[in-house]
Amino acid sequence: MNKRSTNCPVLASKDMTAKKMIDITIKEVKNSPHNKTNLIWLEATGCSGNILSLLNAENPDVIYLLKEIVTLKYNNSLMAAEGEAAFQQFLDTLETDFILVVEGAIATKNNGLYNIIANYNGKRITAMEAVQMAGERAKYIVAVGTCASYGGISAAKPNPSGSVSVGQFLGKEVIRVPGCPSHPDWALGTIASIVAFGKPILDAKNRPIIFYGITIHDRCPRRSFFDKGIFSTKLGDRECMFKLGCRGPVTSTDCPIRQWNGYVNWPIGDNTPCIGCAQERFPDGMEPFVRY
Amino acid sequence: MGQKITINPLTRISGFLEIQVEVEKNQIIDAKSSGMLFRGFEKMLKGRPPMDAIYFTQRICGICSTAHSMASTLALEDILNITPHGNDKMIRDFMHGCEFIQNHLRHFYLYTLPDYVRGPEIQPLYSTTHSDYRLSLNLNNELSKHYIESIEYSRSAHQMLAVLGGKAPHNHGIFVGGVSVNIDSSKLIKMKSILNSIKEFVINRMIPDVFIISEHYQDYFGNGEGYRDLMSYGVFDAYSDQSLFYIAPQVLINGQKQELNPDKITENIYRAWYEANKVEQRPIDPTIDENVYKEEAYSWIKAPRYEGYPMEVGPLARMYLSGEYTRGFSTMDRTIARVLEVKKIIEIMESLLERVSLQPTPQGRFEFPQKAYGKGLIDTSRGSLGHWVAIENQGIQNYGIITPSTWNLSPGDSRGLKGVVEKALIGTRIEDIKNPVEIGRIVRSFDPCVSCATHVFGDGYSPFEIRIV
Repeated sequence: MNKRSTNCPVLASKDMTAKKMIDITIKEVKNSPHNKTNLIWLEATGCSGNILSLLNAENPDVIYLLKEIVTLKYNNSLMAAEGEAAFQQFLDTLETDFILVVEGAIATKNNGLYNIIANYNGKRITAMEAVQMAGERAKYIVAVGTCASYGGISAAKPNPSGSVSVGQFLGKEVIRVPGCPSHPDWALGTIASIVAFGKPILDAKNRPIIFYGITIHDRCPRRSFFDKGIFSTKLGDRECMFKLGCRGPVTSTDCPIRQWNGYVNWPIGDNTPCIGCAQERFPDGMEPFVRY
Repeated sequence: MGQKITINPLTRISGFLEIQVEVEKNQIIDAKSSGMLFRGFEKMLKGRPPMDAIYFTQRICGICSTAHSMASTLALEDILNITPHGNDKMIRDFMHGCEFIQNHLRHFYLYTLPDYVRGPEIQPLYSTTHSDYRLSLNLNNELSKHYIESIEYSRSAHQMLAVLGGKAPHNHGIFVGGVSVNIDSSKLIKMKSILNSIKEFVINRMIPDVFIISEHYQDYFGNGEGYRDLMSYGVFDAYSDQSLFYIAPQVLINGQKQELNPDKITENIYRAWYEANKVEQRPIDPTIDENVYKEEAYSWIKAPRYEGYPMEVGPLARMYLSGEYTRGFSTMDRTIARVLEVKKIIEIMESLLERVSLQPTPQGRFEFPQKAYGKGLIDTSRGSLGHWVAIENQGIQNYGIITPSTWNLSPGDSRGLKGVVEKALIGTRIEDIKNPVEIGRIVRSFDPCVSCATHVFGDGYSPFEIRIV
């Protein structure tokens, strides 16, 4: 182990797994004299698939996150409260130290009326207003999923709702955790990392380098087929899917080594091409998803 | 003039919903259900490669993406005139079953339970807006433990889907021609093992839990009734073997069962934020534009109607129509039917596994005609889902989607007929006007998915010829 070259990013990322990071975080949280950090997980213009994906997390799972790492103050899908009282919890949290997670893009057309998230004192609150309010006060802002990170599907041509990314909307630094949806380890690992160490090491696109440092193509188990020029001609084949339109060469995630849903499989493992769902130009720049 | 109550956000659903009711003498006399998100999927799909619709439309919804991959694939197969190989079809249906389990478990434990049971002492599951909890402390603690246990089982339902489909949400494996996975013995045994553990949880926890709740909340057998007009597009219905069969396409109107005729489906936009010269949209009509300032409108959801009738769709509709559960149509019946349906689906999935053989997928290479149209109608976790596709120059010319929650959550129409959820709310007695807990309970019994319902639809696919009788 000690003989490993330290300048190899693959080995470095293998040594620093989400699990390890979270273990350290829990230790930090327990040793800290302060209360757990507050978290707002705001669903905006999207499919709410990232909070669903978070529910698929295991070791640690979502209950562990809520018990040991953060105090979740507001989330539309999970919170027991409803109506004005629920939104009051959102407003109260703005007066504290908190991390803001946004999933979904920000619909800006007609002053944000395409996405209303609450009704407070008889006034409709748009997702745009809520992100503005929380974005101004949050200690850290994390965009989870491709819509929040880059606009994603919600901003797909011709972008009927005028959706933009969280970073573009707020005009300030936002940590991006893209993916459609984001892998639960990426989201959880990033939150845990912030709690324990502050801002994680980011790449030029503000993505945590431990999850997004290397392209799928570089670590693809089918890479040897590519190198030898052996290609699949249809879905279900076992060779390299470059000629079917695989976006692995332009997509940077650790999917090949991490895999999904309890680490059992991933799109290429299912004999289908990567569609670049974690990449900036998804979906418009990644189509056709399958090409014969 | 009654007192107005607005609930927004109506939490613990998928997406953004506002419910407004007017209450007079503790009784709801009017109700409005408003979908609060618009993305415009049908506009986005125009001009894209047809095959991309399978992965693209899944992004309508995080909790029921598999449903969209099924409907989209069926519509494209209709165009290409393809019937998947029997083995592939069984694997695909099994994958669809995984989503039913995932959805129903999450809906019952994470979304519904906190209405009746005080949650585990973890924020934001614990702070509530009402105090109508009737279970004894012991029972309450037991069910609240099951809330936490359930997370493992809904997760493992998604894991089964990922083994066969690459990942979840937003799988890759359901595709034109069948599936992309090459099934082998290790995958098969993994399915059997996971399914078995889920079944034990459902039988020993989930089903007893719903009956414990129903015992303590008997009054919920007396509200939330809706119209009693039911619809299903059919699901697990392509098999002659009874152990694989669930329900064929059908409707129930005024107590009369009829075969489903998809040509009778329309969408009324009178109360929705869209503009068109005709208030009643047929599938042949072109795409319409949105207008968020429209006076009489109050929702992004349109009002789909079958022969002019608002139809209830979902587990209760299926369980009632198939004769599996016929006790009634109330809030509690709807909740019980969903829970019992999980067991029914698991049994079908077990039978599918018995019959799946270990052979590689016979995937092909598909080319679309210059001009064609097709439709994919199937019942999914929340009810009847339809995708209609028109193709021109080998690209998508028009794509229309009507989701289950569009049926259940629709606003009123130009004839004054209220949507299904609205109808279910009207007449309800509210015990404590300051804590109108009845509203959320009734609405959640429909398992609303506003992400789906407000993706927008109703657009045209021109080559249809429909005669209005």
